Amino acid sequence: MASAGSGDEKAAAAAMITLISSDNEKFEVTEATATLSQTIRHMIEDGCTDGGVPLPNVTSKILARVIEYCKKHATAAAGEEGSSSSFSDAAFLEVDRAFLEELEEFDDAFLEVDRATLFDLILAANYLDIKGLLNLTCQKVADSVKGKTPEQIREMYNIVNDLTPEEEAEIRRETQWAFE
Amino acid sequence: MDPAAALAGIDELVEEILLRYPPDDPARLVRAALVCKRWRRILADAGFRRRFRERHRTPPMLGFLLRPASLAASLTATSSSFRPRGGDLRGRCALDSRHGRVLLARLPLLYNRLENNLSVWDPITGEHLELPKQPRHAEIVPFGWNAVVLCASGACEHLGCHRGAFLVVVVCADIDGVYVHVYSSEAGAWRDPTFAAHYGGGQFQFNLYLFDPSAYAANAIHFMLYSDMRNGILEYNLGTQEITQDLLPDDLGRGVLTTTENGGLGFARADGSTLYLWSREADPGGFMIWALSRTVDLGTMFTCLISAHVIGSVHGLHVFFVSTVDGLFSVDLKFGQAWKVCNDRDIRNVFPYTSFCTPALGEVSTVEEPNVGTSSA
Repeated sequence: MASAGSGDEKAAAAAMITLISSDNEKFEVTEATATLSQTIRHMIEDGCTDGGVPLPNVTSKILARVIEYCKKHATAAAGEEGSSSSFSDAAFLEVDRAFLEELEEFDDAFLEVDRATLFDLILAANYLDIKGLLNLTCQKVADSVKGKTPEQIREMYNIVNDLTPEEEAEIRRETQWAFE
Repeated sequence: MDPAAALAGIDELVEEILLRYPPDDPARLVRAALVCKRWRRILADAGFRRRFRERHRTPPMLGFLLRPASLAASLTATSSSFRPRGGDLRGRCALDSRHGRVLLARLPLLYNRLENNLSVWDPITGEHLELPKQPRHAEIVPFGWNAVVLCASGACEHLGCHRGAFLVVVVCADIDGVYVHVYSSEAGAWRDPTFAAHYGGGQFQFNLYLFDPSAYAANAIHFMLYSDMRNGILEYNLGTQEITQDLLPDDLGRGVLTTTENGGLGFARADGSTLYLWSREADPGGFMIWALSRTVDLGTMFTCLISAHVIGSVHGLHVFFVSTVDGLFSVDLKFGQAWKVCNDRDIRNVFPYTSFCTPALGEVSTVEEPNVGTSSA
């Protein structure tokens, strides 16, 4: 990592934020971890994080997972900043590649959750505005419906089919090619 | 609250998920439209379709057209859920595919006359338009010709233009020079031809290979030219409607023109087990030169490379079609892999069919595009 600016990074790393889940559990995280959430970043900028940040839409179970994701990816973001100043250094590039592979493995393992948890993570990523996590989880859901029938998708989301038989027939007629 | 129901009740999140459906599996979007009213409404929105194209940028390859020795056109779907509609291919051969459309010519082909029956087919909507005959520019018999179908808008990013106007560009050569004939779907007619005398004050009497892949780059369409002495390229600028001819360096050999990943003009040739990729670039003095940009060892992907030659590419996607005595292969340089397309060793040309294919559903879609079952870009 570059030497310039490391003092600031240490200062940033030292600043701790308290996140409070809907079931009133407190989580101490570094500012670098917390600010992966744009929602929290704005709260910090507005100076309204004293006494903790209440997150009434996120349970402790889900918040723990979200923090796990943010910790890992905050390290990744810091690593990227550090390596850019020594871009020509092949050793650093090698480290970067290894780290990116590790990050991918982390993401894959992170997504090994049941469907309800995955949906909860999407809701939390949306509420906290964490782009990377939203992308990761939405892509997982998009990939998981491969080959699924409309009925199977409805079951996944507990959706009641409110299309009338006429509307359904119309869609099937308009897009007949998809059912041949 | 049940997270599934909570998620399914937020339009933005449903859209976030639907936007990540793979573009090469169009049936997945159609099945999503059958889930419920909310999902159908989200999918039917013209804004969704635009965001879907913007997100995925490059239209996926849904299939390809082959030109076998018999010339008879066929469209093979590569996406398991894409089914071409309409289009009577019997007695026709494929000349080009671009802009989500396919340019066809009725057989038997007239190699030395511009009196072929050309038609343009949209495999997604099924529309098939017969073009009027080209006006003859002279009584002199052309040497050879080639033709392409293109988006009519030069400033277009080609993400949402598919159902828009198109041009058919026919290039031919005769004893005096080269001619470009353009058909505009907006005008429903052929424009007056553009003419340029042969290159080098007539020193090079260039001719055109029918079916040779052409390449679009920098608002111009490029065709391969050949003569007794040298190969060349013809560039037709769609904005200025001017013709430029240039010689190709001898060391490029016999290959195909391509569009590079960054939208420039490229050239690909297989020699032995090596794939050579060239790109046209400006040198420090501002002159356009051909630079060898990449060599790829095909030997690691193929077991048999006897008489391998490149016969086509997917523009801008780093996918090349290589014909060998073992059959036709598609080579994806991104994945470093080759897949067998078919065992036929007599395939002369491949025209990939690339397009977005999102379902256009019901009333909402009519704002942006006519409601014809599907829309694409």
